[in-house]
Amino acid sequence: MEEVDKIIIVSLRTIGCDIEDEIASLKEFSTELIVSSAVQCIKTILKQDVDLPNTLPGGMSARFRMGTGLANYIQELGYKGEIGYQTFLYSNESEIRKVFMFLVDRLPKDTVETTEEPMGSSALLQRAIASTVLRQMNSPWISPNLKKDSITWRGKPPMWQREGSCAMCNYHASKMKFPSGTGDLTKKVPKELKSYYCECLPYITNQTRNHKDTAPSILEEIASEISAQLEWENEWNSQGLASRLSEQEYKAKKRQRIQKRLAETLRQDFKRSQEASSSRSAQDLQQVLDKMGSRTSAGKTKGSRFTHTEQLVFAKDEVVSQIGTEAEKPHTEEELQKKREEEVLGLKEELESLSSKLDQLDLEVKKYSAGVKQMEEEITTQTRQNVEKEENYKVKKRTLDLLPDAENNIAKLQGIVDSSAQKLVTLANQWEKHRVPLIEQYRELKELNSKKESEAEKKLEEIKVFRQKMKEVADDARSKEEMLKHLNAEYNSMNKDEKRSGYTKRMMEIMSSIKKQRAGIDKVLTDTKSIQKEINSLSGKLDRTFTVTDELIFRDAKRDESVKKAYRYLAALHESCEQLVQTVADTGVIMREIRELEDQIENESKNKVLSNLEKITSDYQQMKKENQSMVEKIKHKS
Amino acid sequence: MLLMFEDQHKEHLSFLTQVSPDVVKEFCRISMEFIRKGTNPKIFQGAAQKLNVDVDTVHHGVEGLMYLLTESSKLMLNEIDFQDSIMTLGFDEDTRQTLLEIYLQNRREIRTILSEMTMDLPHYHNLEWRFDVQLASRSLRRQTTPTVLFKLHTEDSGVKDTTILQTDPVNLLHLTKVLDEALQEMKSPYCRRIVRNIK
Amino acid sequence: MELPQSMQDALTLAGESIHIPDAQFPSFVEVAFRGVINSNERNAIENLKEFTSKDPAAVKEAYAGLVAMVIEAAKQDTDIESLSSLLEDCKFPPERIKEVSETYQKNKPALQILLGSVGRTPAHIVDVDWRLDYYVKNNHMEKVNEAVYLITLKTELPSQKELQEVQFSCSQEQLQDLVGKLKDACKCLERISQG
Repeated sequence: MEEVDKIIIVSLRTIGCDIEDEIASLKEFSTELIVSSAVQCIKTILKQDVDLPNTLPGGMSARFRMGTGLANYIQELGYKGEIGYQTFLYSNESEIRKVFMFLVDRLPKDTVETTEEPMGSSALLQRAIASTVLRQMNSPWISPNLKKDSITWRGKPPMWQREGSCAMCNYHASKMKFPSGTGDLTKKVPKELKSYYCECLPYITNQTRNHKDTAPSILEEIASEISAQLEWENEWNSQGLASRLSEQEYKAKKRQRIQKRLAETLRQDFKRSQEASSSRSAQDLQQVLDKMGSRTSAGKTKGSRFTHTEQLVFAKDEVVSQIGTEAEKPHTEEELQKKREEEVLGLKEELESLSSKLDQLDLEVKKYSAGVKQMEEEITTQTRQNVEKEENYKVKKRTLDLLPDAENNIAKLQGIVDSSAQKLVTLANQWEKHRVPLIEQYRELKELNSKKESEAEKKLEEIKVFRQKMKEVADDARSKEEMLKHLNAEYNSMNKDEKRSGYTKRMMEIMSSIKKQRAGIDKVLTDTKSIQKEINSLSGKLDRTFTVTDELIFRDAKRDESVKKAYRYLAALHESCEQLVQTVADTGVIMREIRELEDQIENESKNKVLSNLEKITSDYQQMKKENQSMVEKIKHKS
Repeated sequence: MLLMFEDQHKEHLSFLTQVSPDVVKEFCRISMEFIRKGTNPKIFQGAAQKLNVDVDTVHHGVEGLMYLLTESSKLMLNEIDFQDSIMTLGFDEDTRQTLLEIYLQNRREIRTILSEMTMDLPHYHNLEWRFDVQLASRSLRRQTTPTVLFKLHTEDSGVKDTTILQTDPVNLLHLTKVLDEALQEMKSPYCRRIVRNIK
Repeated sequence: MELPQSMQDALTLAGESIHIPDAQFPSFVEVAFRGVINSNERNAIENLKEFTSKDPAAVKEAYAGLVAMVIEAAKQDTDIESLSSLLEDCKFPPERIKEVSETYQKNKPALQILLGSVGRTPAHIVDVDWRLDYYVKNNHMEKVNEAVYLITLKTELPSQKELQEVQFSCSQEQLQDLVGKLKDACKCLERISQG
């Protein structure tokens, strides 16, 4: 019974009954504890709050009512045994045990939480390694010539394993190209590009020289694109948004910045190299730089002009120096050097003067061009004035023409004016007639349009919401599936449930103890049997010896007086011995009776009859008192 | 098996028959020294002066002894054969005994020195191993590929060399099995019979 | 699993029946997988004549998207669920998702073999030959009389079809040492395989 009690107590604790640690069996349960545990059980089974207090109330009648209610609930749950208020209030161990066994059995299983942690990833890895090694150790060896690319398929289900490295190759990635944006109709792909995509571009698996490089190349493409995207997002979030520019502007600005910096560095380097030697290549670089600068800045023509002149000057320089070298050939090195220096100096001066002249000229050119512009402007204003004046002149001429026949002409003119005014009025009327319905129609259409627009917007909104929902639901489903998988795996791994195994262990223990006990009982039985046998044989022997001695002594007693006495003694001895044996047997019987009675007493005492009686009497008295007080109250009221 | 002496060799050694066993012993010591470390002509001169004989004679004597010792060691002459071989050289009993002792003492060393001179193949010196599991690579994440890495140390005429090798469990088992069989082959009756007969 | 935007766009095209008609979709997927796995079928897509009448550029883009997705999935060892979710994001209809997933599942080992064969390794021992000699004498010495093993390790080197050889000799004692060490390694593996 201890095992059962333990299981019951553990289950009660898991559903949240406050059972102290010292309590190890149902015998130690107090009435309060029994009631509160039973209520807790019922609440857990029905999964709702029931109208039962968790603790025993003070009033006797309330107690009685609560006991009856509890009994009713348990009967509703399907308890077959006898149950009533007395089961809880005046408890009896075996009955309480039965009730709790029933309740614990009905407890929902999921409340018994199984908090086994999922296996750690390191353990999983360990296991995976172990299984791979085991599979490989168990697979037979075959000659390398028989393996395709040194791969073998082993195990069930077949898994591949590499047993050689002849098929290995280096990670070699090359640039891949594939059409993009062909599905997006809003983006216009240039015709040439399109025809290149259609006619010339090979399929992506057919682009590398070696087919083996296809996979690495594609992987590399993916990785680089993802990292570029990430990099851009980072930059945009950290700096781009702060600059309050649109994406294109930001990019353009960045490009400009980089170009500027590039140009600056190159320029500096060029200066440095110019100090060392004014070589032609450096000059070229200067050109490149200026071109680059011109591309970024607006003054394109100016820059290029500058470079042109520079080129010109330089070319002249070259010519001069060539001539110089030809003329100075016969002189010594030093002289040459000197001359050259002088020449260089002279040339430099010349260059400076030329460039200053050039600057001046430039300035002049500017001035002139400004003058030209001014003049042009003047010309346009003049022509405009001219046209206006011509118009004026025409009007004036006509009025002058009309002057001689003034009155007639005035009347004519008046007529024309009147008729045109009338015409205007009728036209206005007509226009008004047409206008009103048109305006109305316009308004209607406008309204309709706005309605439609708002509807479309609404629909768009709805679509958005639906899409969101769809995604959410899909996500949900996926996560649930994953959970299911996870739980399934857990469930599989948990087959040897801790609790279950504990129970089975305990059951096995109980079984073994029962076996042991049975063996003990068997042993005792055989012992008693053998003792019985011994007793029987001994008594038989005794009987026989007694008859023999009896006969012997009886024969002798006829002749001898003393022997007669001995015979009498013998008879007495025999008789008293028999009596003794009888007494021993009687004691045995009595002892057994005593034991039986003791058992009975224990059984009775288990029922706590006395204490229950006492409780009942005290409860009875209390009830009486309550009744009396109530009667008094009623009397008072009446 | 007996050692056959050429006439010239006999002549060279005949000098030693004329001197006392102690001198012979000294000569033997010098010969061993020379076998170990190469000849040193200065010692010849000293010995020649001491014994009051020609340098060439001493030279020939020592070289003759060296030849005698190496040749007999090369052929792995046993005691009796060695004694029988030098019988013809006309040494007296004591000297022969001395020579025999010296031969027996030094035969092992001489053979080691000789074996160092022989042709050598790259041979096994040591093997280190370790067990790795490849868990991921640049192009394939999530794998468990067990590999065994070997560092094989070989030696060729004193030059050490290492080779890095790898294998997988299947081939490792195969390798072990085959080489173990090779090792067991030496203990087979057939091989044992051959070993017995060649000796 | 993550794909860059351009690849996702390309993949989306593969799910649209305007570009790849439903009837041709299975063979399109099959050909994409074979194009990745088999070197002599790398251009099998061109032999599918049905696609030539449509917009070839779109077909090429869709093909590239599918191929990239397949390779990246195999690299990450992606399971069917996350694959399907990616395809869902690319607006694949359910039956196409099923088709792709099934083909992926079927070809995953082959893809992973392909990806696993990228990389460098030291020489890989695949076989061993041995020869037992009885060393009798040499020009300097007679009666050497010892066993000498000549061992040839056959190795494979990356991207070389021919087997290479590592050759060395060893005496009986040395072989004993070698075999002992190898047995050690085997024992170690056995212990690991027991978990």
